[in-house]
Amino acid sequence: MKKLIPILFISFVGLLSSCSDEHNLPIYGNRETKEVMVDGKTVIDTIYATVPDFTFVNQDSFVVTQETVKGKIYIADFFFASCPTICPIMKKQMIRVYEKYKGNSNVLLLSHTIDPEHDTIALLKDYATRLGSDGKQWMFLTGDREAIYDMAAQGYYATAMPDSTEPGGYVHSGGFILVDTQRRVRGIYNGTSEDEVTHLMKDMDILLKENE
Amino acid sequence: MNKVLFLFLLVLLGSCSDSELIGMKQISHGAQIYKAQCANCHQDDGSGLAQLIPPLKHSDYLKNHSNELPCLIQNGLKGKITVNGSDYQLAMPAVNGLTKDELADVCLYVLQKFPETPIQLSEAELHSQVDTCFKAK
Ligand code: HEC
Repeated sequence: MKKLIPILFISFVGLLSSCSDEHNLPIYGNRETKEVMVDGKTVIDTIYATVPDFTFVNQDSFVVTQETVKGKIYIADFFFASCPTICPIMKKQMIRVYEKYKGNSNVLLLSHTIDPEHDTIALLKDYATRLGSDGKQWMFLTGDREAIYDMAAQGYYATAMPDSTEPGGYVHSGGFILVDTQRRVRGIYNGTSEDEVTHLMKDMDILLKENE
Repeated sequence: MNKVLFLFLLVLLGSCSDSELIGMKQISHGAQIYKAQCANCHQDDGSGLAQLIPPLKHSDYLKNHSNELPCLIQNGLKGKITVNGSDYQLAMPAVNGLTKDELADVCLYVLQKFPETPIQLSEAELHSQVDTCFKAK
């Protein structure tokens, strides 16, 4: 027992510190290094992958671009209104996030439809209102079909494409993608899991502190 | 005479608890089907999703249309409906691939679980509704 006590103590300290440790979030994607001159000396600078520029339209027919998200952290996700499988669960979870950050002007939520032919602007407007969104902080985006799919794949490491073998006719990943103020992806969370979405909100708090 | 009565009672009792047992089995089977086929939209507790997907819990629509439940599941539902004073209009897709028994069981479960007072349908009634829907398809 005597021997055990120090071990217990150490593991307890370890436990405590791991709890209070506000870990840094990873930065997703390939990175490049570049030599730059600072004060006459050559230093290595790291260039992180960022979400590419985009142009979409929201449920109120407003154009939404990279300028809209400038200086804010945001979450991107993909859905379609007639989706019979995971979308309603994801939207239930997104409501939790929306409720928590409602009114915080540093946070945006962008839900992209992957079925732009069916999900018209009028339909998205109705969808948004019914979910309780004010349409400003939580926006529902549509646009050119290929541009949306490319954005999913290249910008957000997500899958979104038609697939006639899937219920509803589309396959898409249920991820919530967390993007920081410099448009770097900092986390991908399973939007159908209550626990992961709780984790996401903790990470959002960390990102928001990073910017203070 | 007494013996006959006794036997009769025994049979009655036996059959009663038997069918109750079957009912329990069907309902727990129905609960599994609900979880797999309905809960992602209507949620485990039947609360629905905001103003988008209507609740089943204490739904007046369900109460007033309990006879149509098998066909509603089998064929889906389109158009505007009003549930507990709110209107909904997102379409519910047909739930495909259920067997007749599965359809009956999930109906039993839903009608037991979500109305304010459980709605009892007789076996015969339920199965005739289920049959009608399968024929219509
Ligand atoms: C893809 C999502 C989805 C799935 C899966 C789904 N429903 Fe629905 N359900 C809806 C929507 C949306 C409506 C409203 C339809 C309308 O407005 O015309 C609805 C309406 C209903 C209604 C009538 C309204 C009410 O709330 O009382 C019942 C009953 C119902 N569903 C039961 C079920 C059952 C039982 C299952 C599983 C076998 C199921 N649903 C699966 C989306 C779904």
